[in-house]
Amino acid sequence: MAEPVRSRLRKLLPWAFGLFVAGIVLVLTIAYSGIYSVAASAGHPDWLDWFFALGKRRSVIVNSMTIDAPVLDLAELVPLGAAHFQGGCATCHRTPGQALNPVYDQMLPPPPDLKTHAPMWTREQLFWIVRHGIQFTGMPAWSGQDRDDEVWAVVAFLEVLPLMEAGDYRQYARGHSEAQNYSIREIVSEGKTKINLTACNRCHDTDDAPPMSPYVPRIGGQNKAYLKRALREYHSDLRQSGFMEPIAAELDDEHINLLADYYASLTVSLGNPARNPSTPKLEPGRQLAEQGDRSRKIPACLSCHGANKRPDYPRLDGQSEQYLRQQLQLLQRGGRTKTPHGAIMTTIAKRLTEQQAEAAAVFFASQPSAEQVGHKAGEGLRQ
Amino acid sequence: MSHAIKKMFCAVALLVIAGCDGGQSAFSGLGPVSSRITLLIWIMFIGAALITALICVLTLISIAGPANWRHKLTGKKSIILGGIVFPVVTLTALLIYGFLVLKAGGTLVQAENPVHISVVGEQWWWRIIYRHDDGQTTESANELRIPTGRPIKIELSTADVIHSFWIPAYAGKVDMIPGRINTLHFMADKPGIVTGQCAEYCGGAHALMSFYTVAMTPSDYDAWLAKERANAKPAIDNQGEQLFLSSGCGGCHTVRGTQADGRIGPDLTHAGSRLSLGAGILPNTTEGFAKWISQHQTIKPENLMPPFDIFSESELQSLSVYLNSLE
Repeated sequence: MAEPVRSRLRKLLPWAFGLFVAGIVLVLTIAYSGIYSVAASAGHPDWLDWFFALGKRRSVIVNSMTIDAPVLDLAELVPLGAAHFQGGCATCHRTPGQALNPVYDQMLPPPPDLKTHAPMWTREQLFWIVRHGIQFTGMPAWSGQDRDDEVWAVVAFLEVLPLMEAGDYRQYARGHSEAQNYSIREIVSEGKTKINLTACNRCHDTDDAPPMSPYVPRIGGQNKAYLKRALREYHSDLRQSGFMEPIAAELDDEHINLLADYYASLTVSLGNPARNPSTPKLEPGRQLAEQGDRSRKIPACLSCHGANKRPDYPRLDGQSEQYLRQQLQLLQRGGRTKTPHGAIMTTIAKRLTEQQAEAAAVFFASQPSAEQVGHKAGEGLRQ
Repeated sequence: MSHAIKKMFCAVALLVIAGCDGGQSAFSGLGPVSSRITLLIWIMFIGAALITALICVLTLISIAGPANWRHKLTGKKSIILGGIVFPVVTLTALLIYGFLVLKAGGTLVQAENPVHISVVGEQWWWRIIYRHDDGQTTESANELRIPTGRPIKIELSTADVIHSFWIPAYAGKVDMIPGRINTLHFMADKPGIVTGQCAEYCGGAHALMSFYTVAMTPSDYDAWLAKERANAKPAIDNQGEQLFLSSGCGGCHTVRGTQADGRIGPDLTHAGSRLSLGAGILPNTTEGFAKWISQHQTIKPENLMPPFDIFSESELQSLSVYLNSLE
């Protein structure tokens, strides 16, 4: 009984092989002949649309399965995500209250309006899409290597976006920038109508307001040489950040010098948005900053970050606890080894325990910056 | 093929012979402790050679010798004499002599007023602390200076893993064990410079953890120690000192007399007067300092100093000039 079945199958084998080869030849012939139109204007037939949508959806779901979402502090992250969205994503995805530029509406597939599309995905899936991008859609991957922490800020924003009215969005996205009040001269000669990507005060501090989010460093009153170095490192893809690299890429040396000059001379703003430093960590933090930890071969933080040090070393006093902790974690996982300065600090950061990193962040966040001490302490403005 | 092996053998033999000569050799015997050990080695070596030759001759006789000789060898008398009496006498004599050699250090242990020095093994360098009679200490690194003709007492400890302190020309190796202080006694007969080496694998740069030992006449030593004890002279090249302090070097290194008071890395107060840099790795010159600062992770891989690739040519130059001027 088995024998005839097997011989019949054996006879079918050449036919199956022939069909397979014929299929490949057919596909190659269609591609080479140019019969199929890749025109974006032609659109996809419904069945192909359905097929692509299925593949995309399943791929995002399956690939994001292993992601563990951290707890997101929306109040701290949303302003940061919104400002980046305005500079990096809004061009294609539109913003609340503003029509999409028709150019981007003609993309295939058309970029989705995230006010309606973001709720279709879970937090982890949104992260995966922003972090990795999607093939054949024009959605790029995140431009800062090993900066998942930044991607989560965008995810936090995307979760809140569906609830935002035009007014809320504008407030978050422009930060301290006064972009909407361009004069007619500026509009005519410089073409400014939208909030500009390189408007620093969308996120950073001004002379009378702190940064929009505690994850954004204060740069007013920072060392000039450090600011220059940081912008150059972002500009040349040596320091990784999906937020800062696109902005620094648009700056040339002249801009960088002007910006560094400006921010270095800015008087430091008051009103720290950071939470009150948790006092139990303050003493260990002070100890680490002033004396280091000899048993772990950690030098005192202040031997590089104190007064009268190299101007290309950053000052840390008055930075927020969140920003400092985030940078220490980034250094610890080797995310800043491409720059010589980053390589120095990486060696030290890797010797810190988790508690020590936290204590150091708490200590520096509790320190008034030099200007505050110099000019304002006498007026009793410090708590 | 065999030619290549011959060549290799020659090379290895030359290296071995070269190792027996000069500053880092157990055959140098430059002090009472090591010269007795050397004598013991020679006695053992020559004795063993003679006994081996004797056994060879006896074996030859027992195989191909005249019948009456062979008969004598198998006799009870020769077995008792050669197999029991000879080894017992030889080994007992050696044992007693060995104890005497050990005791030679004993007289040094009891010696009054020894030169008291502490050496701490660190990955991968030596912290050297001179203990003065008044209870004060002076810290230095990677170079041991001792007076001739005076008993030396060295307390050995470690800051991290097990190291072993070995100056072959003066004494046997002694381990540095976490949580313990081992003491080593020796004496140097005449002035000279020899090298020492960590003799217990202690991680990545173990092979590059050596140091110079300089024996000086007592008067030279006293003068040197007084100078070593003093603070660094105010820098002539202020720019270099400024760079040293502002770049954070003082977080790990001490230069007494300046704000730099770090205790993680080697004390650099008189770094310029030492014979070598990086624990016996580079010559102590301005170029040596520049090379160390800019390429130390290539020269001594895995060493614990962070890479400092941030200095411009001129900054590197003034920093090196400054460090070299710390005499």
